[in-house]
Amino acid sequence: MNEPIAPVLHKVGNRRHEWMLRPEGRKTWQRRRLPLIGRHWLTWRGGHNPRTLERERRLADKRPLWWLVGLAGLVATAPFLSDAMLQIAIVFCVFAAINVIWTLIIGAAGILSLATMATVGLGAYAAAAANVYLGVPWPLMFPVGLLVGLMAGGLLALPSTRIDGLYYALLTIGVAEICRVSISQIRALAPQNSSINNVDSFIPQDWFLQRPGLLLGFASAFVLLLLALLLFRLVNSERLGLQLQAAREDEEFSEAVGIDYKRARLLVFLIASGALGVIGAYYAMLYRSISLNIFSLDQLLLMFAMIVIGGMGRAEGAVIGTAIVVLIDRALIDLGPLRIILIAAVVIIVTLTTHRGLADARSQFRAYRNRIKSERRAARTRKGGEVMPEEATEIADKQLIAYRRFDKRLRDRLKALITPELIEEHRRAPLGPHSDALARVMNYFRRGEMSDKYAILQEGDPGSWTYSVMALSGEPGKPPRVVDDRHYGSRDEAYHAVFLLRVNDLLES
Amino acid sequence: MAKHRIFGYCTPWSVKPGDHMQFMVSAEGVTEARAMLVRLIHGDESPEGPGFVEEEVPGALPDLLHVHRQFTQKGSYAVAAGFETRDPASGGSFTIAGFICPTAPGKRRQTMLGRWDIHHSRGWGLGMNPDGHLEFWVGNGHDVDQITAEVPLVPRTWYFVAASFDAATRSARLVQLGKVGRYNGRHGPVVPYDHDSIVASTLKLAPMPAGAEVPLLWAGASDWNDMRGRFVATLYNGKIDRCGIWQHLVQEDELRAMASDGDFSTEGALALWDTTAGYTDQGIGDRIVDTGPYGLHAQGVNRPVRAMTGWNWAGRDDCFRLDPGQYGGVHFHDDALTDCRWAPTVEWTVPQGLKSGVYALRLTSDGTEDHVPFFVRAEKPKAPIAVLMSTFTYLAYANEHLAYEAPIAQAITAHTPILTTRDIDFVKLNEFGLSTYDHHSDGAGCCYSSWLRPILNIRPKYRSSAMGFPWALPADLSLIWWLENAGYDYEILTDHDLHAEGVAALDPYRVVINVTHPEYYSEAMMDATEDYLTRGGRVIYPGGNGYYWVSGLRDGAPEILEVRKLDAGSRAWQAEAGEGYLASTGERSGLWRSRGRAPQKIVGIGFTAEGMDRSTHFERMPDSFHKRVSWLFEGIGDTEKIGDFGLGLGGAAGIEIDRYDLELGTPPHTLLLGMAEGFSDNYPLVSEEITYAFPGRGGTQDPQVRADITWFTTANDGACLSIGSIAWSMALPVNNGQNSAARFMRNALDALIRPGPLPGAQWAGQEKLWR
Repeated sequence: MNEPIAPVLHKVGNRRHEWMLRPEGRKTWQRRRLPLIGRHWLTWRGGHNPRTLERERRLADKRPLWWLVGLAGLVATAPFLSDAMLQIAIVFCVFAAINVIWTLIIGAAGILSLATMATVGLGAYAAAAANVYLGVPWPLMFPVGLLVGLMAGGLLALPSTRIDGLYYALLTIGVAEICRVSISQIRALAPQNSSINNVDSFIPQDWFLQRPGLLLGFASAFVLLLLALLLFRLVNSERLGLQLQAAREDEEFSEAVGIDYKRARLLVFLIASGALGVIGAYYAMLYRSISLNIFSLDQLLLMFAMIVIGGMGRAEGAVIGTAIVVLIDRALIDLGPLRIILIAAVVIIVTLTTHRGLADARSQFRAYRNRIKSERRAARTRKGGEVMPEEATEIADKQLIAYRRFDKRLRDRLKALITPELIEEHRRAPLGPHSDALARVMNYFRRGEMSDKYAILQEGDPGSWTYSVMALSGEPGKPPRVVDDRHYGSRDEAYHAVFLLRVNDLLES
Repeated sequence: MAKHRIFGYCTPWSVKPGDHMQFMVSAEGVTEARAMLVRLIHGDESPEGPGFVEEEVPGALPDLLHVHRQFTQKGSYAVAAGFETRDPASGGSFTIAGFICPTAPGKRRQTMLGRWDIHHSRGWGLGMNPDGHLEFWVGNGHDVDQITAEVPLVPRTWYFVAASFDAATRSARLVQLGKVGRYNGRHGPVVPYDHDSIVASTLKLAPMPAGAEVPLLWAGASDWNDMRGRFVATLYNGKIDRCGIWQHLVQEDELRAMASDGDFSTEGALALWDTTAGYTDQGIGDRIVDTGPYGLHAQGVNRPVRAMTGWNWAGRDDCFRLDPGQYGGVHFHDDALTDCRWAPTVEWTVPQGLKSGVYALRLTSDGTEDHVPFFVRAEKPKAPIAVLMSTFTYLAYANEHLAYEAPIAQAITAHTPILTTRDIDFVKLNEFGLSTYDHHSDGAGCCYSSWLRPILNIRPKYRSSAMGFPWALPADLSLIWWLENAGYDYEILTDHDLHAEGVAALDPYRVVINVTHPEYYSEAMMDATEDYLTRGGRVIYPGGNGYYWVSGLRDGAPEILEVRKLDAGSRAWQAEAGEGYLASTGERSGLWRSRGRAPQKIVGIGFTAEGMDRSTHFERMPDSFHKRVSWLFEGIGDTEKIGDFGLGLGGAAGIEIDRYDLELGTPPHTLLLGMAEGFSDNYPLVSEEITYAFPGRGGTQDPQVRADITWFTTANDGACLSIGSIAWSMALPVNNGQNSAARFMRNALDALIRPGPLPGAQWAGQEKLWR
């Protein structure tokens, strides 16, 4: 039982596979910035390789790279896609754009609104009606969509200040349903099947559903997605988004430092709603028509599935989720209703296995790996184990490793010295003189590190002092903590109580 | 933590009737405090002694004080007044450059140089970001933008750094060049670091100069708080050497030239601070000289440490007196404190006729109490006896944190620390600075200690938390109680008086008694004691580890003691290479022994061991039976244990102990009257005795681990009686002052206060013995 556990020493050391730059210090590093927001294009981390001390410059945030690869890949492959696949790509771009904006509402503003498609739909109907019935030319449909989006957003925003979470979500579903029912009742607006057709578009009439039309459609949808991502970036990562992030972390604190997060929340909601209205106008143009389908609950739930799969709150989550659901829904059309079940299965698997969608899988995996690592290390340290090679890679001061080994072996020798007689010797004379064995044990205790080292608290009046045991923090400005509630009548008793605690700590290790 | 707190300090420490004094008090939770002048007679509350004894002097001080919270600015920095009106950030281009050696980069933001208003985000600053990268930042009152060097700064490495801002294009440039020499930093050239980084970028905004109330600061930036007003935050840890500011863009090749030879261009310079200017043979002050056109000198606050090696230290000259040009380093610490700078609560003139003694302002309010001790000398010395209170030692140990921060403290003291709730409050408050036994937050030893701050461990009832018994002033009061109790006429002197007045301070007295631990001595004090003995003065040194550290005061600033702990001795820290000389006086610090003046040369004995597990007793030695000295042992048996009791660990011999050694300069005619041995191995031989280390240098095996009582006479009927133990004085009050140790002291004092030849002096002939 008390046999020491033989350490298992694994070889560690990774080849360098990560792409990184080797800058020279004497050369000027010109750091260019993004126009408007003034941020740097890429976030780099400069430093010295801990094994070689060579200079390194690596991308601290590789997401821009992945975005570039993904989006450029999409653009590059689009001209070679079949018509059907191109249509799927268009749907992907449009829905991804909607979801990115929706993510602003759910993630950044933290408002669980399900009226997204309703806002898009209202924008689309208004823009289409303006074009078909009032003869508004197509470029002006965008401002119409924007205006309607803003109005819808304004109306939806009002109750969000009063009710939260699930109730608000239910309310927004209700609003979406009201929109659908109302529009289906307004005969004048949409005489045929409640849909408006023959909407003017940036795609010429004779290109519609033809190859050039599809390519133009894709190009426009792609630009739409880029604009949505840009808007996301501008809102989420600049002042407004940072204020909201602070509010999410600690509402009271952010209020105390003067952040009006409620205002910021409503502002984000309005901006996003306006953008959704614009997307609605675009949607009507893209398909030259608009129908009640856009308000349907199954469409909404499908979009919700995209967000859930990708992960709420992050643009990459919205895009990844959209890609997966659109691919299943549109590319596997031959499967029929089975694909809805498939989507449901993906949703269930993702929610069961990840905390915050697929976009978070990497950090979740890292956290898991770190947890396992620290659990194993804690278990070893509890048993008084030595530093393992994989742990040594993270300890900069190698002397600490030597101390750990020395300490472990010293403790093993000292444990053998602890006997009832030794404890009795200490009880009789805590301050000595002591036998060699006790002196060795005492000296080990006294040399321990500062953190959690025992101290004695003296309270009361002279002559009737009482004593109790405390543990020091070892940090300037941090007071000691109380160890237990026992009080001792004399200083020697307190010294002995500390001794017993230390013996206990030694034997337990 | 207590709800009510009251703390005070006073200046000066040593006064005569008619002298002016100031008391500074800060209180939390209360607005009024009762004040009373008290004379301190005994401190230690241990039930084995007389307990705490004070004597009230009613009416000497106002009865009721109105008190309020006073804030303390921690951290050393320097203020360059007059720069506000010349700030180049108001629309012009500018360049800042200098040499820096950070000692604790990372964790939090630190400002090295700038006129930066944290509260309003205005101005500019050069410093380090929380990741430890060099950064230059500007703010316009709304937004802040910065340019950051690529690689983190490595602790204790010198760099040349520069930042320039082009007002026309808003482009900024940051230059960081490593200056690794063979001697000047922690690492030498074998470490393959590339420390250089040059970054250029266009900033989003141009700086708006900070308001007129924000000065240019070295090692900090100005912040504001509703309660406190203006204060300095983002304090810097590390050294700054020469630096300058230019009102134009200095080109990179020019900067590289400056970095290689340290010659700063004067063309277009707004300020050129030369940290090597101002050194004299006697040290250097707090002013950092600006050699530029406007003389914008920077004044150090909380004593930035001078006389430190600079970026170009070449290792051969180990003192600024040899080549001040290599001593441009000014070391700043975020936890340095030499002056709380509180407003005086009481201005007071010491009343005529006040008896010489150890006094205190006692403050009581709502269950809290504080004593603010000070020392009243005789207006005209009349008593035959002077007690020399070791105010240098009190400063050196002021507010020590050994119990909380020194991992080896328990091994040295053999004690588990014993804390009181007041100690815990003190740790939590962490506001009243360090002692010369502590390290600054960057690991450097603290070389300055001042009385311009509340000092917890000179409170009369205080017991050292590391050891559980009184230390320094509270312990010294045992001697005062005994003198009072035994009815001797005595007066008080302090180290500071001895330092200022030399032997003239001692001359009026027939006997001067040291207290338990006169460890810190300036050259003037050593000289004065020697001169006093030479002229026939009589010294009783009943203490341990006295006359030990070379310490100094800057002329005109007695409140701040400086010591540099060097290569030998029981030292809480060790000065870095080349930094062992006192900035206050220009002397080499460290042990007096290392400078050819071991304590044995003056008082016959010197430090040999310390331990805090238990004390023991003295026994008579054969010399004590000689008629020259046998009168000292009247009433003491031939084999009687002398002092097998005491408030200092149960014996009169212990804690820190001294021994006789001819090799170290004990006068050859010295008699060894008594000794104490039988110490445990917790009393190891001191490190300055260890040339080769081998086992068995503890009290159970090494014959040098012992405490000696010695006697020698000097010219003109002078004499020196030395009892090498801190615990001695703490044994005197036991049994109401009736005990063997007290008997011995009485024998000694009764004889020494009589002028003329000493008893036994006539027994100088050669012995012709039959036995």
